[in-house]
Amino acid sequence: MKQNNLPNVVFVGQPNCGKSTLFNSIAGLKAETSNFPGTSVSHTYSRVNVFGTLFNIVDLPGTYSLCPQDPAERVALGHILSEKPDVIVNVIDASTLSRELRLTLELLELGYPMVVVLNMMDVAERKGIRIDSERLSAILGVPMVETVALHGRGIKEFLDKVVELFNNPVRPLHLAWSQEVEDKISELVAAVPPELSAPPGRRFTSIKLLETGGFYCSRFLAEFEPELDAALKRISRELSERRGMPVYEVIAAERHHLAMKIFENTTSILCGKHLTLENRIDSVLMHPILGYPILLLVFLSAFFLIFKVGSPIESLFMNPLEKLRLLTASSLGQGFAFHTLDGLLQGIGGGVVVVLPYFIPLVFLMSILDDAGYTARAGFLLDVFMHRMGLHGKSVAPFILGFGCNVPAIMATRILESNRDRIITSLLVPFIPCSARTTIILALVAFYLGPFFAFGFYAINIAVVGLLGFLISRFFKGPSPGLILEIPELRRPVFISIFKKVWLQLSVFIKFAWPLLIAGSIVLSLLTWAGATPLINKILSPLVAYALGLPQELGVTLVFGFLRRELSLVMMLQALGIDYQNLLTVITKEQILVFTVFVNFFIPCFSTLAVLWKEIGKKWALVSAGLSVGVAVTLSLLVRLVF
Amino acid sequence: MNIIPLIEAPFNVPLKIIEITGGVGVRRRLLTMGFNRGDVLELDSRAILNGPLIVRNVTHGTRTAIGRGVAFRILVFRADEAK
Repeated sequence: MKQNNLPNVVFVGQPNCGKSTLFNSIAGLKAETSNFPGTSVSHTYSRVNVFGTLFNIVDLPGTYSLCPQDPAERVALGHILSEKPDVIVNVIDASTLSRELRLTLELLELGYPMVVVLNMMDVAERKGIRIDSERLSAILGVPMVETVALHGRGIKEFLDKVVELFNNPVRPLHLAWSQEVEDKISELVAAVPPELSAPPGRRFTSIKLLETGGFYCSRFLAEFEPELDAALKRISRELSERRGMPVYEVIAAERHHLAMKIFENTTSILCGKHLTLENRIDSVLMHPILGYPILLLVFLSAFFLIFKVGSPIESLFMNPLEKLRLLTASSLGQGFAFHTLDGLLQGIGGGVVVVLPYFIPLVFLMSILDDAGYTARAGFLLDVFMHRMGLHGKSVAPFILGFGCNVPAIMATRILESNRDRIITSLLVPFIPCSARTTIILALVAFYLGPFFAFGFYAINIAVVGLLGFLISRFFKGPSPGLILEIPELRRPVFISIFKKVWLQLSVFIKFAWPLLIAGSIVLSLLTWAGATPLINKILSPLVAYALGLPQELGVTLVFGFLRRELSLVMMLQALGIDYQNLLTVITKEQILVFTVFVNFFIPCFSTLAVLWKEIGKKWALVSAGLSVGVAVTLSLLVRLVF
Repeated sequence: MNIIPLIEAPFNVPLKIIEITGGVGVRRRLLTMGFNRGDVLELDSRAILNGPLIVRNVTHGTRTAIGRGVAFRILVFRADEAK
């Protein structure tokens, strides 16, 4: 993973500690910050020049401990063990110091040179928490710096400490636990053969073996290291018998007690000062009754705003795009060259028409809500409804992202702990109308049938997602593990952090989704060039003409539309040989509705399918495609019957 | 001392964790997120239709939304009555 021989500086911290904000302020436009625990799912790299020394800096996903519980946390530990960092930067939310110290103690066990950053000092001060950081630094035996990363406070001092530590690396000492536990650990250390030890050393290896019960390697141990296996089992049993709790709880309790002792020795809390305004706002936002109309209002106004912003911008692009097409046609004729170029241009243009007017404003608003801490609150409010779908509140964040583009939404399912939840959420995300589908719904349903139909369309769409979730989760054994979701403090969103988030989402779209859109668009153009369209239309006519009651010419648009979904409207007009204003002269409103329903629910676009394949495997990607065909056919038939 | 699951506890009174029961996965997760024996919690609010609870961890100064199933497994007693 390391691309060069530069020294490695690795950022580690618990979710919501402001680690990514600190990282971003040093790295430039490369990482995402999030309020939703652990959304920076893949680790982000950057090369930075700090006072003349080049460093490779790495932002790991937020992790509560080094015993990973979800895929994102596994990335964190895996990276530390494989890369042997030169400096570890442990970022701490100073306002919840006592809890965050536990991870710090775990990191000390690794024995790598480490800087501790007490971040969010402003929040801690407002909460009345006073930390004697010099004393804390002395107890932990590592350099320490106070920062407010959001406002750039303390960044220079922080960089100074990193360079200083890199030039004079000091390996921290681990802090001792209670004697009886230490004795047992020493016994186990003696039984660990040096060649079997993880890079940080035998003590670290022994502790991890105890904590995981040798879970990851129990078979290996039993077969090849019977002595170590026997020692591990005996010591685990003795410890858990003596303390009356499983051995991982013994270790956790040791760290907890040590952390609490250090916390009490270095921190004083001035009473009477509370975040009263924030608390009052919060009690309304998360009110069991008031919370819901507010939630509805927030999302409705977001969509209304996007509608108001998006449509005018989109119409600015539509005409030049059509003119460009006519121009290429007049200069190149109707041959292979024209169709290839036309496919390319339409693919690029289609992307622009979706990205600028809808995708960017949507992601922008979602990032504001996320940065302010609202996504976690929405997760709390919607947990009840998610439960009916066999999921819980944590899945709300990917769903919300899905309204922008399904691709990053499916990537965001990595924050879910259980594989079961990941698969169900990933299967449902493609049914969330993304910005490309929003354009179609707005252009066809809202324009020809009125805004109420468009609202109805959305409402029914969300109901369909709910129903599908309810049905799909029946096929998965075992219940969802249940909601444990940290609610971060409400924060005022900061523009630069939002800008970076939009940039990250946009870069996923540009790097992953767009090239596939363009490729699909070219394939479709070449189909026309090869004269395959009438044939395909004929083959599809039983479905298109008889079952759905649509003009036969729409066959290719409907079925291969997923190759170029964002241009379904343009393709429809081309297939029918009519312009937008005169659409009603060739098809009825009922047909428009059937068409929109089918296009909206049919096979997730090419890029979504590809990311599903990559994230949850071939089998589930195919299940998703099959599911969407079924849903699209059923729903459009239903619509035809009802109207 | 009256031991009750968190789900049945009253709002806005200090509650001390006495034990966390249930599967290893949930217990480990709660431990790492700062729910230890002896920590003091307070219930803030609850969503409609038996939804999740908002739990304030007074010991660590954090707030967490906890689903009903999980809240059932955290056993607490009223710290103000224990005296």
